[in-house]
Amino acid sequence: MALIEITNLDRIYNTSAVPVHAVRDVTCNIEKQEFMAVVGPSGSGKTTLLNIIGGLDKPTSGKVVIDGIDLSTMPQSKLVDYRLGHIGFVFQAYNLIPVFTARENVEFIMLLQGVNKKERENRAIDLLKQVGLSERINSRPAQLSGGEQQRVAVARALASRPAFVLADEPTANLDTESAESLLDLMEELNDKYVMTFIFSTHDARVMRRARRIVSLQDGKIVEDKVVTPEKKQ
Amino acid sequence: MLLSLAWKNIWRNKKRSLIIIAAITFGLWGGIFSSAIMVGMMESMVETAISRDLSHIQIHKKDYDKDKDVRNFIPDGINVLDNIRSVKGIRAASGRTKIIGMAASPSSSYGVEIIGIVPEDSKQVTDIYAKLIEGSYFKSDRKNPILIGRKLAERLNLKLRSKVVLSFQNLEGGIAYIACRVVGIFKTNSSQFDEMNVYVAQGDMFRILESDPIIHEIAIRSESVETIDLVRDNLLILFSNLQVESWKDMAPELAYLSQTTGIYMYIFVGIILFALLFGITNTMLMSVVDRIRELGVLIAIGMKKSKVFIMIVLESVLLSLTGGFCGIGVGVLTIAYYGNNGIDLTAISGSLESFGATTILYPFLPAMMYIILTIMIVIAANIAALLPAWKATHLVPSEAIRTY
Ligand SMILES: Nc1ncnc2c1ncn2[C@@H]1O[C@H](COP(=O)(O)OP(=O)(O)OP(=O)(O)O)[C@@H](O)[C@H]1O
Ligand SMILES: [Mg+2]
Repeated sequence: MALIEITNLDRIYNTSAVPVHAVRDVTCNIEKQEFMAVVGPSGSGKTTLLNIIGGLDKPTSGKVVIDGIDLSTMPQSKLVDYRLGHIGFVFQAYNLIPVFTARENVEFIMLLQGVNKKERENRAIDLLKQVGLSERINSRPAQLSGGEQQRVAVARALASRPAFVLADEPTANLDTESAESLLDLMEELNDKYVMTFIFSTHDARVMRRARRIVSLQDGKIVEDKVVTPEKKQ
Repeated sequence: MLLSLAWKNIWRNKKRSLIIIAAITFGLWGGIFSSAIMVGMMESMVETAISRDLSHIQIHKKDYDKDKDVRNFIPDGINVLDNIRSVKGIRAASGRTKIIGMAASPSSSYGVEIIGIVPEDSKQVTDIYAKLIEGSYFKSDRKNPILIGRKLAERLNLKLRSKVVLSFQNLEGGIAYIACRVVGIFKTNSSQFDEMNVYVAQGDMFRILESDPIIHEIAIRSESVETIDLVRDNLLILFSNLQVESWKDMAPELAYLSQTTGIYMYIFVGIILFALLFGITNTMLMSVVDRIRELGVLIAIGMKKSKVFIMIVLESVLLSLTGGFCGIGVGVLTIAYYGNNGIDLTAISGSLESFGATTILYPFLPAMMYIILTIMIVIAANIAALLPAWKATHLVPSEAIRTY
């Protein structure tokens, strides 16, 4: 059984006068330890798809089953807990609580999970070391570069010990060098922790780093290929 | 950590938070200080009335207040007085022989209440001795010394050492006369009182009445204000055949006024807090709107609505309490300052005098009120947080992240 099974997923937005068919009949399975990119032009439905997989949005029809649990029928109140316990999130920007230090940001999600103080501290410091920020543990987001902030976000995503990490355009606000190094980090964590990463991008250089590329166009999967990732030159 | 997050969040927009904190500070300070002035005025009115004449507890023959006849004295009064002095919780007691009569000078006459006292005993209970503006407190070798109020002195055209003739009903129903010498003129805060009361030595009255010592009224000071009711209840049991009343029973309007002042204060501060509530709501709403994306991220990563709700309420409470404690702090300081130095009201004392209040006002607020005030602030903060917290918890995270 695949980690994530997506079947005949549809998402139609009825908020405007003309209904928008953001995701059309998407079916795909995602296995454990995949390093997968969802790509496509702007408006192709990447965010919508990721949101549905992450339990942030409900499909109009079809279903998402994660580890045998159907998210599409889960009530909102349970979804929050599910997200907290099973899914790590990295967003495009402004992921962090600005008044908290890097360490406190990573600790906070474990606080929500009810992890005790000592363990929270240890795990946060350890994770920040893993993402290469041992020197910036007590810096606040405003004192960190965009790339460093995204690393903290990755550390936070892993802190909750999720089943997989969803990253919607994690490199969109970064310069090439920071983007590459963030992907290096994700790749390393993918290896080391057998952690599944699903990220979206419309940046070709980022795309090339994936081992599986799912291409969307007008909400439809137009290509789904397994690739040998090009290493950074 | 949630508490520290809430506290830090308050200071993200310093200017905005400081403005509402300042508003709360000034609002509460104003409320507290004006309440303290009211309470202080109230207390001083009560205190003045008590130490002028009322005392804490009075004992009469039953129904004396309905018929203040000379014959309505306390049976075996001297013995009763002696017994009362040994009751626990009583600091001092003074027997008064009270007769309604006339005071006449060569030029005029006026109806007065003649109060016969043992000067030294009376000194322990009330403070007329301290209100003398001329003469002395019965320190005279003149025959039949008398203390009169300034208002009466003016009315009857009397001066120190003037002769004044008192006439009153004796025990047989006839009229008795006594010629007295003014040895002291007192002035209290109530001109009405000064006009209507004269003090003579009890011994002189007994001589004129040709009777054994009789007492119509026993005035009692309890050891502490807190135990007045207790002592009264105790006396009620010991002297069930007599009328035992505390100052609250005797001057219910005064007791009622002092009680309503407290209630009035809560209403007053409540209205101020109610007005501030809108300000707090507005500040919190702006703060939530500023953070929609951030709150969206927090809900997305798994922060429960209840936790978001608690966080917003905590922010509101911390914000309000900061302002509240500043306001209470400034209030306590000003009350402490003016409580020691007093506020001089001589400029408007004319109108206050007939009212029975002092001209130097000492603002005062009981400690209990600060505690209740703090609770009121917390309640207001919670109410103010409801709308912003509702807004924060009803965010759709995907929308919040997408659009902001
Ligand atoms: N809440 C919404 N209400 C209405 N339409 C929406 C909503 N969210 C997305 N859409 C529409 O759905 C389509 C897919 O949007 P989506 O954000 O998933 O695309 P995307 O691939 O993530 O684009 P981008 O690369 O710009 O982030 C778009 O046409 C968009 O306008
Ligand atoms: Mg998108």
